[in-house]
Amino acid sequence: MEAFNEALPDAVTEKLGREGLEDEPALIQVSSDLSSNWQYGRQWVVVTEKRLLVIPGDGEDGMVVVPMAEVAGVRTEELVGGGCLAVDRRGEGPLCVPYSQSLIPKFAEVAEGIRQLSEREGLSLPELGERARCDRCGRLLPERNGICAACIKKWHTFLRLLRYLTPQRWRLVSVILVTLATIALELSPPKITQHIIDDVLTPRDNFSLLVWLVLGLLAVRLLLWAASVSTEWLAQRLGHEGVQEIRSDLYRKLQFLPLRFYDRRTIGSLISRMSNDSDRLESFLASDLPFLLSKLLLFIGILGLLLVTNWELTLFVLLPIAPIVLVGSRIWKRMMRHWTRWGARWSRLSSHLSESINGIRVVKAFAQESRESERFDVRNEDLRAESVAAERSWFVFFTVTNFLMSWGVFLVWYIGGRQILGGEMTLGALVAFISYLWMLYHPLRWFGEIYNILLRAFAGAERIFEVVDSRSEPCAASDSVRLQRVEGRIIFQNVVFGYDRGKPVLKGIHLDVKAGEMIGLVGKSGAGKSTLINLICRFYEPDRGRIEVDGLEMREIGLQDLRSQIGMVQQEPFLFDATIAENIAYGKPDATFSEVVRAAIAAEAHEFIVQKPDGYDMKVGENGGNLSGGEKQRISIARAILYDPRILILDEATSSLDTQTEQKIQKAISRLVEGRTTFAIAHRLSTLRSADRLVVLDEGKVAEVGTHAELMARQGIFHQLVKRQQETTAVMAIGGGKDDPGKD
Amino acid sequence: MHKNMDPEGKGEWKPTPIEVPHPDGVDSEKIRLFREPAWRLRMTIEGDRSYLYVKVVLAAPLSEPDRYMCLLDAKDEVICMVDDIHALTEENQAIVREELARRYLTSRIEQVHSIRQEYGVSYWDVSTDRGRREFVAKNVAEDARWLGDRRLMILDVDGNRFEVADFCAMDKKSVGLIEMVM
Repeated sequence: MEAFNEALPDAVTEKLGREGLEDEPALIQVSSDLSSNWQYGRQWVVVTEKRLLVIPGDGEDGMVVVPMAEVAGVRTEELVGGGCLAVDRRGEGPLCVPYSQSLIPKFAEVAEGIRQLSEREGLSLPELGERARCDRCGRLLPERNGICAACIKKWHTFLRLLRYLTPQRWRLVSVILVTLATIALELSPPKITQHIIDDVLTPRDNFSLLVWLVLGLLAVRLLLWAASVSTEWLAQRLGHEGVQEIRSDLYRKLQFLPLRFYDRRTIGSLISRMSNDSDRLESFLASDLPFLLSKLLLFIGILGLLLVTNWELTLFVLLPIAPIVLVGSRIWKRMMRHWTRWGARWSRLSSHLSESINGIRVVKAFAQESRESERFDVRNEDLRAESVAAERSWFVFFTVTNFLMSWGVFLVWYIGGRQILGGEMTLGALVAFISYLWMLYHPLRWFGEIYNILLRAFAGAERIFEVVDSRSEPCAASDSVRLQRVEGRIIFQNVVFGYDRGKPVLKGIHLDVKAGEMIGLVGKSGAGKSTLINLICRFYEPDRGRIEVDGLEMREIGLQDLRSQIGMVQQEPFLFDATIAENIAYGKPDATFSEVVRAAIAAEAHEFIVQKPDGYDMKVGENGGNLSGGEKQRISIARAILYDPRILILDEATSSLDTQTEQKIQKAISRLVEGRTTFAIAHRLSTLRSADRLVVLDEGKVAEVGTHAELMARQGIFHQLVKRQQETTAVMAIGGGKDDPGKD
Repeated sequence: MHKNMDPEGKGEWKPTPIEVPHPDGVDSEKIRLFREPAWRLRMTIEGDRSYLYVKVVLAAPLSEPDRYMCLLDAKDEVICMVDDIHALTEENQAIVREELARRYLTSRIEQVHSIRQEYGVSYWDVSTDRGRREFVAKNVAEDARWLGDRRLMILDVDGNRFEVADFCAMDKKSVGLIEMVM
């Protein structure tokens, strides 16, 4: 439990010593990042079995000691941009320890730990392993437990990337061979011109040699062209196939990751890994890497050739390299900044465009056309200004670096010219030298950027590998029990669960559901109905207690086996962008057409489906956009019927529909429920009349259980809820209700 | 719309009156805030009613940090809104400011010591009204927001908030550093 046992500074240890804490081991020992006067600083929270201490960070006065017996409760308060650990004391005001947003996860656990200790439960906290800073270099991390771009094991990542290319080993080898050939070819034209000048033009003789040499030049050009085409072909295949492999690995992983993984991350950041990071890798493997490789080899080749030709001159030539690299990379940086900003402005402009076109009805209805145009003009102008600046910086980059490079040429003309006059060098050699020089200098201006290109690619790769390496759901654990057919008896024993550990949603659920029974779950929003269902589907594991299915602990049953027995109909059913038939058969892709139709008939969907122009072949559109709510709902019921689960979950299946449609769907649902263990959540309590038993959840506990009639007679929470709903329905009936004959 | 237009065609627009029951009908001057016991904020609306627990929140903390303050009761339901904090007595203003400072953990950047941009993220080292702090912003283009011409809000990777109250009033070095990344 290292995360909750941080090392104390000496001043604090000393203070604790004076309190006589030697024989009382600290069970929790953590620091906050705000002091008691809400400044950045530290406060230490130390908890032993007998007491809780809050100590100012630098050992100054103001320590507060609370005996455990005095702790009446502990909670975390959410503030804007942070939070506060509040320990309620008997007879005194709460003790508050503030912290910034960064420490919210840690203190949620600390609060849970203090609660466990104060209730004498024995401390059990999960490994938090939160890292805000890089372990190696101490830099703040851009993502909790994320990757430190400066410290990634570059070599390791590079090798792992290369491993994705090994299935295409021969292609990789040919890329390298062709690249080497290209370099040799690129080096030859200046040599040939040297011969033309020295052996043909200077002596003004030997025409046949000239013809051969020119033909040679032509041949080199042709070969170069062929080589560059083939490298491009090979490298593109290589890169794209490698990334294709990486992308499918990532997607497969995303499918099998537990929901908890998704809770902690935004969908955006995951999609960005899938798209941006893999795009970046693609361009790296397909173009950057071959480009860098060839430029680097060319650089070495030229340098060697120059040294052999004339080492004295070469030393002079090397002089401008440092300024070219330095100045080049500086201007490059500024240029990239302009281009990034240009990109941001461009995306702002296009998002404005799509927003105002999507909302054109609203714009027109409120007569805001000209204001929208003005806003667009402002963004357009911003974009123009940035485009000009970016283009200008591009121009500056080229002229400045070219100017610096020409200094090398001046030197060569001067010194080389002197050597020619002195007879130490031929004119052809000098001209060849100058040609090589340009070839040498050109890639130099990018050299400062190479490191960054590599780092960016590696960081992208690391982010992808991080997902690929995280733990999947225990899909087919070898020791799990294979279960062919579930009877459907479900028992909850003292189940405690919360999405954040500090805030339990279910606080000790006991429930025994017989096979084939229909249970209606009732309660205010936030009472834990949906959470209970998430546990039945085993989207999450309970924190404490156990759930049994047919007498087996849920954990022991293979996950695939369990889920293949659970069907779900949701409030807003999710349909895939495919045909109606494909959507109905989603859980059973090998279903025959007549099975699909039978399911649709049972779900009262057949009638409306055949009236559609394309019938069962109709595309439902993105998330069923071409269908009305009631139609989507009936398709999702048909889907569940065809899937034939033993355990059925109806999550607000009828709440967003008008009464007429609801009646149809009720009929469909009552067919579906027959003989299956069913858990139904509904806001309209009247729809739960057919349930065998109703379970009323309140504050995370089972408050009442019984049939509709029993609970009404009991005059408890359920009775109240029904009463209140009847009143609202009466009001709604007068006001016209929310029935909408619209699409149905 | 036509019937609201001036018949003489001067184009003067008159709003159609809407009947709204006033949300609170509480006179700011009658509000009295006090702590009793010391850790609990209570409120009495003189001559009307009293609350054993109140919470102070801002309706628009970003655009109107000094105005439109709401008082909530123990159930987080709005008791009333005070349009201008200055309408309260000095004593109450002090209490309100104290409460707000505890709820809104935004720090005001006073000086920027350094901003390093590496690998697409920026590392900031700043002095704030709560002391010195280092933080990382992932994408300055997205995580920094201009609130008006001179106010700037920056979110770090954890969602901590940093504010520049008046960009133009900052020292040259800080302005230069911020301009470099924005």
